[in-house]
Amino acid sequence: MIEWNAVSKSFGTVRALRDFSLRIGQGEVFGLLGPNGAGKSTAIGVCLGLVRPDSGTIAIAGMGSPDDPRTRRSIGAAPQAIALYDELSGRENLRYFGRLHGLGGSTLTRRVDQVLDEVGLLPRAKDRVLGYSGGMKRRLNLAAAIVHDPPILLLDEPTAGVDPQSRNNILDMCKALSQRGKTIVYTTHYMEEAARLCTRVGIIDHGALLATGTVAHLIAEHGGESVVTITRTDGTETRVATPDPVRHAAGLIGDATVQGLRIDRADLESVFLNLTGRSLRD
Amino acid sequence: MPAILAIAVNDLRLLARDKAALFFTLFFPLGLAVFFGAIFGGGGGGSKLDVALVLEEDGPKARAFAEALSADSSLDVVRQTDAGTPLTRDEGETLVRKGAVSACVVVPKGFGGGIESIFAGGGIKLEGYVAPGRGAEAGLLTGKLNELAFRQMASGLSDPAEMTGMLDRARSSLGGDDSIPDENRRLLTDMFDRIGEVNKTFGGLNPGAAGGGDSAGSGGWMPVQVSLTELKDESDRPRSSWEVSFPQGVVWALMGCVTGFGVSMSGERSRGTLLRLSVAPISRGQLLLGKAAACFFACLAVQALLIALAAGVFGGLMGQFRVGNPLMLAAAMMVSAIGFTGLMMLLAGLTRTEGGASGLGRGLIIVLAMIGGGSIPLFLLPGWVQTVSSISPFKWATISIEGAIWRGFTWADCALPFGVLLGCGVLGFAIGASALKPAERA
Repeated sequence: MIEWNAVSKSFGTVRALRDFSLRIGQGEVFGLLGPNGAGKSTAIGVCLGLVRPDSGTIAIAGMGSPDDPRTRRSIGAAPQAIALYDELSGRENLRYFGRLHGLGGSTLTRRVDQVLDEVGLLPRAKDRVLGYSGGMKRRLNLAAAIVHDPPILLLDEPTAGVDPQSRNNILDMCKALSQRGKTIVYTTHYMEEAARLCTRVGIIDHGALLATGTVAHLIAEHGGESVVTITRTDGTETRVATPDPVRHAAGLIGDATVQGLRIDRADLESVFLNLTGRSLRD
Repeated sequence: MPAILAIAVNDLRLLARDKAALFFTLFFPLGLAVFFGAIFGGGGGGSKLDVALVLEEDGPKARAFAEALSADSSLDVVRQTDAGTPLTRDEGETLVRKGAVSACVVVPKGFGGGIESIFAGGGIKLEGYVAPGRGAEAGLLTGKLNELAFRQMASGLSDPAEMTGMLDRARSSLGGDDSIPDENRRLLTDMFDRIGEVNKTFGGLNPGAAGGGDSAGSGGWMPVQVSLTELKDESDRPRSSWEVSFPQGVVWALMGCVTGFGVSMSGERSRGTLLRLSVAPISRGQLLLGKAAACFFACLAVQALLIALAAGVFGGLMGQFRVGNPLMLAAAMMVSAIGFTGLMMLLAGLTRTEGGASGLGRGLIIVLAMIGGGSIPLFLLPGWVQTVSSISPFKWATISIEGAIWRGFTWADCALPFGVLLGCGVLGFAIGASALKPAERA
C-alpha cells in the first residue's frame, strides 16, 4: 500500500532519513516508534509530498505521486502540531477542511457531524477552538484528518501532550478506524501505545529503520531475556536473566531465605535499548 | 474553483472574526477620513459662495449691480484676473471649469437698457455658468440674482425722473409698433398715463410693496431673467477637503487589508494550517489564488464602502463630494486592489511569523503609506518628497482614485498609475508565491 524505497534525506548536516525502506500493507496499523528527532515526521512528510527525498522513492499503491491532488484525497494527515483555526468553531474548521477535500452539501454536513460525534466534540461543535482544552484540540486535529473518510491515515504523534481521557478517546478512535479497514501509520514515542494499537512496529533512530515486526516478534528477537530479581532475608539482591522467568520463580518456592521476587519481562523499551544502546525517552 | 472560493470565504471570515484587523481595515480609515476632512475645512470655502463676475457692459446700472453683488455677505465675488484686468466671459467660464469658483455671473451688454425699457418689453437679463453637481449653489445664486435685479429695477422705478423717462420710452415704443391692436394700444396708453400720474403724485413707484420679486409668478412677463448653464468639470483641485481625506482613508484601508491578510497568511505557516492546506487535494495555484482572492475582495469592498459613504453623506447630503468619472473610479479601485493584493503576498512571503509580518506591515508599509499620501495630501508634499514617493504604491493608488474623483484624469492619464499598480500586483504575487511554502523540517 505504501512503500518507502531507500529514501534518504538530510537537512544541512542532519541526516533525517538514512536509506529508509519500509512496506506497509493495506489495512495495517503500523507504529513507527522512536525518540524525538529520530526521523518519524520526515518519513511521514515524504509520504505527504511535503519533504523531497535526496534519494530513493515513495510509492502509494494504486495512486500516483503524493504531489498529485488525487493521491492526497486518499490520505488523511494529522500533523504533530495542532493545525486548526482558533477563531473558528470546531464545526467550521471541519467544514472548511472537508470542503477542501471535495466534500459538499449534505454529505459534508453528515460527515462533519459524524466525525464530531466520534471524537466526542459534538456538544462543543459551535464553540470556537480558542476555548477548547489541549485534549479537545488534539481530538479535533484528528477529526480534521478523517473528515473526508480517506483509506490511508498518517498520524504524527496524535496523542502528544494530552490528558488520559483524550488519549484513550484517540486510541479507541484509531482502533475503530483500523476495524473499518483503514491503513494507518502511527508515529509515537510511547511504547505502550504502539503495543496496544499496532499490528506491526518499526523501530527508528537517527533516521535509520532498525527493525520491524509484530510486537511479540520484536521482543522475542531483540528484547533479550526476562530478568528475575530475588531479594533475600539478609538484604542481598540477585538478578537472573532467563528465557522462562515463571519456571525459574517457581523453583524458588519453599526457599526460606527468599524474601521477595520480581519478574521484569522484555518489552519494546528493552527492544529499543538493545538495538540502540539508549532508552526510548533519552 | 470551489476550492478557491472556499479558501477566500474562509479568509474573509477569519478577517471578520479578528476585531483588531477589522478595525484597522475599515473603522480606522473611516475615522481618519472624517477627522482630516473636518479639520481641513469640510466644504473648503466656509459658508460663502465663490462667484466670478463678468461685466460686459460698463454703464452705471451694470456697475451698480456689480457693487450690490459684491457687497452681498453670502457671496465671495471675484471680478478681476490675477493680473488685475476685468474678467472676460471666457476667463470666468474657465474659472468655473477649473473649479476655482463655483459659478460665474455675466452682466451682458444691454443690461442697463433692459431696465430702462422695462415697460417697452425689455427687462433684466443675467447669464452665468455653474460647476457640475452644484445644483444647490445654482439655486441659491439664482434666488440671489433675482433679488438683486428686482432691487435694481425698484430703484429705477422709485426715481421720479427715471420713471418719467421709462414711460416716455414706453409711449414712443408703443407708437412705433403697428402690430398692436387699437384696443390694446388704447388700454396701454391709458395705463402709462395713470402710472405717470402716480409717479408725479407720490414721487415714484415701489414695486416691492406690490409683491414684486418673483419673476416666475408674473404671468409670462419676466422682467428679470437669470440663465445659468452647468459646465463640464475640468477641475484640477478638490471641491472640498472630503475629496482629499477619503482617498487618504482608502489608502489606510488598503494598508489595513495588506497588513491584516499578510499577518493572517504568515499565521497559517506558524500555526501549521498552511501544512494542512498544503496536503489537501488542491494545487498550489488554487491555494495561492484563494488567498489572493480574499485580499482582493476585501480591498475592493473597503474602497467601495468608503467612497460610497463619502458620496452618500458628504456628496448627496452636503454636495461636497462628487465622483468625476465613476467608471474610471471603479477601474482605479480594481487595479488598486490588484496592486495591494500583490503587496500582501510579498509581505506574507517575506515573513515567517505573524510577529514578523505585523512588524514589517506596521513599519515599512506605514512609511510607504505616509509618503504615498496617507497622512499629508500628495499635492501638499514638498517636491522632493513627491519624487521619492513614487516608490510607494500608495501614491499611485491615491493618484488613481483622486484622478477619477477630482483631478479630471483622462484614460491616458491613468495609464501610468494603473500600470504601476498592476505591475506591483503581478510582481508581488510572483515573489510572494514563490517564497510562500511550508518549510521542510526534520
